Amino acid sequence: MMIQYINQYPETEEFDYAKRLRLLRERKLAQTAEKVEKEGGLNEDDYGRVVAPDYFKFKIIPNHPDGHFYGYSGWTENYTRLLAEHPLYVDPLDAFVGRGFFFLIRLRGMTGDPSYPYPWNPAYPFDDLKPLFDRYNIICGIGRDHHFNPDIKMGLDLGWGGILRKLEHYRALNPPETYEFYDSEIAVVKAIISFLRRISHQLAELALIERNPVLSRNLKEMADINFRMADGVPQTMREAIQWMCWFSMLSRLYNRGSAGGQLDQLLLPYYENDIRTGRITDEDAKFYLGCLFFNDSRYYQLGGPDINGNDTINPLSYLILEAADAVNIACNLTVRVHDRTDPVFLRKAVGYLFSNKNGWPRFSGDTALVQGFMRCGFPREEAIRRISSGCHWMSIPGKEYTLNDIVKINTARVFEVAWKEMMDSPEQSLEALHNRFLSHLRTAVEATADGIHFHLQHQDQNEPELILNLLSHGPIEKGCDVTKGATYFNLCMDGAALATVADSFAAIEQRIVREKRLTFRELDTFLQSDFAGTEGEYIRQMLQHSERYCQGNSLGDAWAVRISREYSDLVRRQNERYPGLNFIPGWFSWSNTLYFGRHVGATPNGRKAGTAINHGANPHPGFRRDGAVTAMCNSIAAIQPGYGNTAPVQLELDPGTGETPEALDKLVCMVRTLLKTGNTLLNINIIDGEKILKAHENPALYPDLVVRVTGFTAYFSMLSKEFRQLVVDRIINKRSA
Amino acid sequence: MKQGLITAVQRFSLNDGPGIRTTIFLKGCSLHCAWCHNPETIRMENELMVHPEKCIGCGHCVDVCPSGAHRRSAGELLFDRRRCIRCGKCAEVCFPGAMEMAGQWRSVDDIMEEVLQDQAYYTDSGGGVTLSGGEVFCQAEFANLLIDACRKEKLHTAVETNLFADFDRISPILEKLDLILFDLKLFDSGLHRKWTGVGNEQIKENIARLDTLNIPLVARTPLIPGVTDSEENIEGIAGLLANLKNLQYYELLNFNPLGDPKYHALGLENPFKNAQTLPAEQVEKLRSIAEKHSIRGKAG
Repeated sequence: MMIQYINQYPETEEFDYAKRLRLLRERKLAQTAEKVEKEGGLNEDDYGRVVAPDYFKFKIIPNHPDGHFYGYSGWTENYTRLLAEHPLYVDPLDAFVGRGFFFLIRLRGMTGDPSYPYPWNPAYPFDDLKPLFDRYNIICGIGRDHHFNPDIKMGLDLGWGGILRKLEHYRALNPPETYEFYDSEIAVVKAIISFLRRISHQLAELALIERNPVLSRNLKEMADINFRMADGVPQTMREAIQWMCWFSMLSRLYNRGSAGGQLDQLLLPYYENDIRTGRITDEDAKFYLGCLFFNDSRYYQLGGPDINGNDTINPLSYLILEAADAVNIACNLTVRVHDRTDPVFLRKAVGYLFSNKNGWPRFSGDTALVQGFMRCGFPREEAIRRISSGCHWMSIPGKEYTLNDIVKINTARVFEVAWKEMMDSPEQSLEALHNRFLSHLRTAVEATADGIHFHLQHQDQNEPELILNLLSHGPIEKGCDVTKGATYFNLCMDGAALATVADSFAAIEQRIVREKRLTFRELDTFLQSDFAGTEGEYIRQMLQHSERYCQGNSLGDAWAVRISREYSDLVRRQNERYPGLNFIPGWFSWSNTLYFGRHVGATPNGRKAGTAINHGANPHPGFRRDGAVTAMCNSIAAIQPGYGNTAPVQLELDPGTGETPEALDKLVCMVRTLLKTGNTLLNINIIDGEKILKAHENPALYPDLVVRVTGFTAYFSMLSKEFRQLVVDRIINKRSA
Repeated sequence: MKQGLITAVQRFSLNDGPGIRTTIFLKGCSLHCAWCHNPETIRMENELMVHPEKCIGCGHCVDVCPSGAHRRSAGELLFDRRRCIRCGKCAEVCFPGAMEMAGQWRSVDDIMEEVLQDQAYYTDSGGGVTLSGGEVFCQAEFANLLIDACRKEKLHTAVETNLFADFDRISPILEKLDLILFDLKLFDSGLHRKWTGVGNEQIKENIARLDTLNIPLVARTPLIPGVTDSEENIEGIAGLLANLKNLQYYELLNFNPLGDPKYHALGLENPFKNAQTLPAEQVEKLRSIAEKHSIRGKAG
């Protein structure tokens, strides 16, 4: 069984790289349209995934009466079976194979409970933790997977054969209680090698069938490469990328996988060797890179300093940008900006952002990230290795277990609990409210740390990381899952709704305490009625027009700085409660922006019940009349949590902003300055307002329209209507300001 | 403390001089250009802008209005601009934003506190502060203080001016600047008078004198359909500019149709209500005419 595009073109049809990329792009867009039609809005990355053929059905084998499977045996059995049956997807135009159809984690099924959607091994109940998770609307992370960065270089150096030998070597050294781990891993790697051999045989057969000589030769090359890559070590750039494509697909197939690494360093030795020996030209390299991007929208970093502070941008970095430009789809490329970043490269990167308007690349700030991570006690050498790996997160490839972008505390809900408690008490004051907020925030943070600790204790018996373990430093050597054997446990704990809470405190301080336009009791009545009636709307507008976060040295800014510091302190204090674990604060809410909003009533910042909280570390829309980017970036720089995780800046700019060379120069300066002044990560969306509004009405009109929704780029048409509305609201708000 | 009447402080301004800038709009203008897209900056005194589409019908404006300009009749809120004394009390309580005062009285210190928040951006990009309007020199004393405050902070300073002023009065201020952006809208003085209310002799004379200050200059002409967009007009202006040794470039600014809601808000008729921006080809043609005079032309 397979999806293949054999004999689609006449024998005489001629192809060059540009034509092949164009045709691959058309196919990619058609596949996106099919995904939208069959699966609806998904609010997530593209992942390069293809809709499975109708005739292929995979049925999981449960190992528990609840219908799910858990632990080493359950995952090993289901994964190896899925691999044995998985159809081949091959496109003779492509340089690589490696497209997948599934995530086993989703085939396993969900619970149907929106608060705890992922199944968890019932042998390890956490009912005692749930009341606090529910009270504060905490996304606890128990049972969640990947979200840390594997060391792809380790895989390229070992190959699947080397990984197998490494497993067998350490199995022989370790005691019997580790055999469950080793035997599962060995079974998985053997299944992978068999799978790759099967694929290479199928490719060889297809090469014989294909009538077009160019495409037939390509299939033959792919067959040879894949036969070697089944257990061998990549020697060429094409082999290295093919290996990466498969690792990408195999980790996605397991549990949605993880990031790709610093691409311009990973591939550099292969590229240089191929060029030196005359095996490939830059045009070949660009074609391979373009095909890599079609294969998966994995996160890659470009550039950054070496240990001596020198820039690592090299000729391959330029080729990567040019290849991404040539395919012009949803790419998750991040340029790491530091004091010595090659200015020509940076300008080229910003130029592509404006010319393609597809949300790539984005930019991370080396200074704040490195200094922050070093505050956790890490040396600079490790801090610079901590590279961009996900929506808003950084990770050292192969060394950290993180739960990045998974664990979230809805601080708007914490505020709401504090508010209600204060209103039921005899004393109402700003100080009393703040004290209660802090007290509940402490309880929420401690409960979250308890949840993370619980997860680490039992996750291997729920869902061991059978793929990412293989490219991590520690698990194979120690004979245990990464949740127990990682080199570092740097655990991400994100707060959400900073602007909602800061603006609420600011509105209370301004309207109740300073101006005395309102009493606490009156405000409570308005909140409970969700600002009903004309007077309710009047009060809502009054609150909403208080001094807000991101206006610049406003009351809202002061509250945001204060709350962020208090939150960071509380998170860092969890290290004392759990020695060996390093908790790192951040501010990010991803698509939880909608979910969290639904769980909070009306708030004193004039936000109506059930509507979205603010997005990540951004302000609520309409924060300033001129919408000044500089004001916003200064404020976000001021609230950075400060320990190496991010509070990203999400910008929307008009296409006209960068249309002349002078304007582009100014935007390059903007990027450089905002990262130099303390910001950690910058996502920019070049919004063609008219196009977005039309696409919102009818997403099918623009299947190629890509937006950087939050940390990730996505096809606009793949977003749910509700999420599309968030983007549209920001545009409308900007226009009416 | 001296205060100025300011209509806006626009941060992250990319079109009013080099680098990333903050542009400060001062209220009051010495010309009355019929096409002005910032009509709220023309009058020197403050005035009320009314945005009925934002009104939620709460009636708080009626409660505070001392002149009876706001009243309620048969359940409807009515506003009589003739009775308005521009005290701004209604705007103070109108949080939905249906009433707003066009300007705000602000001190130099207050403005500088905001300006300096973006200092890192000015430094990196070679940007700074631009004073605009209205006409900056309608509030010459305040503009002077603001420029001094900027210079004290070593900020690059620029003004946008129509140069319709006594040169001896304004030159001490101009001399302090790093860049002067000036307008000449119409070459023909009669037409200039027709469309702006004054002839252009003084402006032309000032342009020549401006060059003696040895400060970088940028000349601009707004392209107003049927008024300033003739080849003859651009030819004439470009010929005049060709003599300036400090001119960096001559910028042709396409018609900005976004002023219409402001005319409504001020209760004024917009004479260019239906005018459209010029096609890019026409702007390009005018730019090339300007460049025939050996000056660098830019389309803004």
